[in-house]
Amino acid sequence: MHTENLTKDFGRLRAVDNLSLSLEEGEIRGLIGPNGSGKTTLINLITGVYKPTSGGIYFFGRRIDRLSPENITHEGIMRTFQVARLFGDMTVLENMLIPAFTQGTSKREASHRAKELLDFSLLGRLSHEPARNLSGGQGMLLQIVRGFMRQPLRLYLLDEPFAGVHPAIKDVMIETIQKMNREEGITFLIVSHELTTIRRLCSRISVLHGGRLISEGTMKEVANDPRVIDSYLGG
Amino acid sequence: MAMGITFIYGIMRIINWSMGEFYMIGGYLQYLIITHFIGVKEWYIGVILSMVGVFLLGMVVQSLLIKPMFEGTVEKRTEYATIVTIALGVLFTNMAVIGAGPFIYSPPGYYRTTQIITLPVSGTRFIAFIGTVVLLSLFYLFLKKTWWGRAFQGAAQNRVGIQTAGIDVFRLDQIAFGIGVALAAAAGALLAPEFYLHPRCGSIATMKGFEIIVIAGLGSIPGVLCAGLLLGLIESLGSVFLNPSFRDVYGFLFLLAILAIKPTGLFEERERVA
Amino acid sequence: MKNISDARISGLKRYSLSLPVLVVVCLLPFWTGQYYMQVFTIAFYYVVLASSWNLIAGYTGQFSLAHHAFAAIGGYTSALLVIHSGFPIWMGILAALLSSTLMGFILGVLCLRMRAIYLAIATWAFAESVRIFISMTYKITRGDLGLAVPKLFLGEGRGVACYFLFLGLAAVTILLIMIINHSKMGYYLRAIRNDEMVARVMGVNTTRWKIFAFIISSGIAGIAGAFYGHYNGLLTPVMVDFNEMAFIVIMVVIGGIRSIAGPVIGAILIEILTETFREFGEIRMVVFALAVIAIARLYHEGAMGTVRQFAQWIARKN
Repeated sequence: MHTENLTKDFGRLRAVDNLSLSLEEGEIRGLIGPNGSGKTTLINLITGVYKPTSGGIYFFGRRIDRLSPENITHEGIMRTFQVARLFGDMTVLENMLIPAFTQGTSKREASHRAKELLDFSLLGRLSHEPARNLSGGQGMLLQIVRGFMRQPLRLYLLDEPFAGVHPAIKDVMIETIQKMNREEGITFLIVSHELTTIRRLCSRISVLHGGRLISEGTMKEVANDPRVIDSYLGG
Repeated sequence: MAMGITFIYGIMRIINWSMGEFYMIGGYLQYLIITHFIGVKEWYIGVILSMVGVFLLGMVVQSLLIKPMFEGTVEKRTEYATIVTIALGVLFTNMAVIGAGPFIYSPPGYYRTTQIITLPVSGTRFIAFIGTVVLLSLFYLFLKKTWWGRAFQGAAQNRVGIQTAGIDVFRLDQIAFGIGVALAAAAGALLAPEFYLHPRCGSIATMKGFEIIVIAGLGSIPGVLCAGLLLGLIESLGSVFLNPSFRDVYGFLFLLAILAIKPTGLFEERERVA
Repeated sequence: MKNISDARISGLKRYSLSLPVLVVVCLLPFWTGQYYMQVFTIAFYYVVLASSWNLIAGYTGQFSLAHHAFAAIGGYTSALLVIHSGFPIWMGILAALLSSTLMGFILGVLCLRMRAIYLAIATWAFAESVRIFISMTYKITRGDLGLAVPKLFLGEGRGVACYFLFLGLAAVTILLIMIINHSKMGYYLRAIRNDEMVARVMGVNTTRWKIFAFIISSGIAGIAGAFYGHYNGLLTPVMVDFNEMAFIVIMVVIGGIRSIAGPVIGAILIEILTETFREFGEIRMVVFALAVIAIARLYHEGAMGTVRQFAQWIARKN
């Protein structure tokens, strides 16, 4: 996936400024930056929730910025939200089934895969609980696992998945992400403030500030980049 | 009417479908007060009293029914508010039939027929007009100049922020609801002699009120003023140039047109920040 | 429920309970008199309206206040067509289906982007427009005087025939709703109600399903309205009065807004109570309104919710 001179304005506020970011297939990229630097906006742009003011977004060479959110999902792109947004009245299992249904998968097949994923992520015993009964961390985990129901999933955008999550659940999340990346070659873009976790998971990191890409590289390179230090301390 | 609906919506983000019934109650109270206690001469006291009465009623209703919406005991807010306020409307309408009978009451007119320049104007309408202007001006002053008024403006813009400023939002809600329905009651009291009183008189008022707020755009107070005038204009023009018996329809058609083209109304609702 | 097989068993239990109910309902007209048979016929009519409204309001979360209008559209379309062109009644019914579905489609498209509040107002405005329109075009519709509609079935067994007709309609509607509920569409609708944006991100074409829900529910209402016209022999704009919509809301809320059986129970219960206590006049409505407020306030799930909780309690005891 790559963006070309991507810009998004909200009235006079420029949330994303001439951003050109590219992701290699199969990598786990971290996206960091101070609050308000445009990280969530970028995710919203990629998933079609917002339309760019100018510039383009390309996925495997095809231009996707004009597509509706449903169609972007059909391209194999999924995302999670900063606050766990689930279908509260539906059970955990039912939540899992939806992304598979929209692909045309049968109920039986979808349930099978859902069970596998739920069991792997230790949510299995909650399968028949209404999703609104889940704790915050469980909800975030469910959000993440729900995305894996889409096959093939080629790009997964995670928006602050670890925020305020219990360490045990965080470990499950990390394991799941790594497993899926290894076994199914899914590309990840993870937004987070938790630098230790990012260092653990991500091979490369991109840094945003004020809607612009100010640095990119391995954790070490980025951490020593004076512009990054400036943005976090100066702001 | 429309002012009341918009005001309540601005603070609590719900539509009170029973506004027409509060209008009716206001009218009935006014009738009671005039015929049994005061007499027509001091009709304005009657209006004030019925406003106060409905204000109190509104506060009670709010604390029983609406407040729980915000205390987290109820999910699906809009749905709940719609169901409950519709049911409330049904409740009041039927209680009116039980209490006062399915008759039409006609309070005595407030004022003799007067003349504005060369136009003869019905006394009551004249009074209603003056009364409305007075009330709306007072309301406007209230919002802009008093502490309470500014608190309400703040709540409409940022509900959470208001709380951090140390204001009890629930109290505000209660009072806002009371004020909103009191406005409806005022309308009812002022218009009672002109449009007569019966248990279903509220529904026409609700209709007009909704027409206005949709045209104006929910949550916009100045919009309501413009829309109200606009509606009156459209109805009159339609009646004069086209078929007068379709009078009510013109406003409605305009309403549908607005909804189709610009669902948020002519004067867009300001997005609440929190 | 610990696993899928448990769910299946309790499902079977539920269906087996409905069998005796079915038998009773079929034999009813032969036990009770003419009067109660009529009451039940009307009750079944409301079952159809309540269930179909629950589809868009309870399941999809689109709180439409125009449902009664679709019934009226269907009713008047069929009646007028049969009267003025001499077509047989079944063609009138078909035309009713077409017209109400079409209007449902239009309204659905208009309301696509509207948030809950605007949707309620827009549908309310639509319904009021329909009412005014019917009243105003009295040259055709005879407005408030009432339109005399050619009756369906004539002769002695008319009451019984109509009873079973409406019973059949109700049964078909319930079956249809059940099928939808278990299908993927049911999942999509519920997802849309819960969080429309997330549904879109999960790949659900919310536009398509929202309109589908509108079309299906308005179509059903239209057919019901058409049959009602030919049953009653008379149609008036009172059918599109806001009170009718309030009635439907009351029935569904009291019965249980998110269940399939809820609107059924609510419709039958309210209709029976309304008729039985007719002498009490307005007090009935006061009681209903209070009941709705109490249920919405205290126990949102309505009668079905109580039944469900009761069933769960029993299950736990075992």
